[in-house]
Amino acid sequence: MEEAENVNAKSSQDGTANPAGSTSEIAGSTGAAPAPTNTRNTGPGRLLIAVYAVFAISATARAGYQIVTKFSEAPLAYLLSAFAALVYVVATVSLAKPGRTAFKVSVAAVLVELVGVLVVGALSVFDAVNFPHETVWSLFGRGYGFIPLLLPILGLIWLYRRRPAASA
Amino acid sequence: MDAYFYIILVVGLLSSIICVAAGILKKAPNDTTILSVAAVELALLVYLVGSIVRVASGERIAGESWEFWGYLATALILPIGAVYWSILERTRWSNFVLAAVGVTALVMAARMNQIWY
Repeated sequence: MEEAENVNAKSSQDGTANPAGSTSEIAGSTGAAPAPTNTRNTGPGRLLIAVYAVFAISATARAGYQIVTKFSEAPLAYLLSAFAALVYVVATVSLAKPGRTAFKVSVAAVLVELVGVLVVGALSVFDAVNFPHETVWSLFGRGYGFIPLLLPILGLIWLYRRRPAASA
Repeated sequence: MDAYFYIILVVGLLSSIICVAAGILKKAPNDTTILSVAAVELALLVYLVGSIVRVASGERIAGESWEFWGYLATALILPIGAVYWSILERTRWSNFVLAAVGVTALVMAARMNQIWY
């Protein structure tokens, strides 16, 4: 309901108040009704992509740092860090890209992220001996304000609401 | 935690609050929200200049220095990226994107302080 309002408000804005609209592909996709190329990277989707991007950058930097400086201390944890970073990068890119393939890739990436945060979170709680080293997903992402746990849930809700039509 | 951190704490929180409020009020990014993010950028630039002066005058960073500068460089890019992103699509959601900058800068400044001392 709220999103529908927002999209309407935006498309009217693109038509009247946005002089730069012609340069962005977003204006094209909402303005031209018969070609619904991508509605995932507008409105709340942009916030989602932005947060994913921040996590992609920070997780990549952190994993890179861990692997370069102290890989031998905990290879498994740091490889897991690198894997998490990769998942965030894939999710960010696929959420931002239009098309069905990108949609499928983003669903897969977000699902992997959800499973990852749940499994690693649970393991770090119950098997703290073998998972003493920090990753983004340790303790369900407590070190990051539990955003890693929330993000895939919000991501799946968003992807479900903006899923491509069954028959194109 | 030093003065640089507290400056970014205040400016970042203020900017995030302004941007979230504007988003809740269904406003598109305007001068107020964009300038509040610019203030965050300015605070980070002050941190950058201050840190260069401190290093040049012989102060040592306790942690990995390249990690510190990496954080600072990334933090400096964030406000620019967010403003660019918000100008591309002027909806209320872009204000929430802008709001993320202040909080992120705050977290990164805290980490930078940890590395420094």
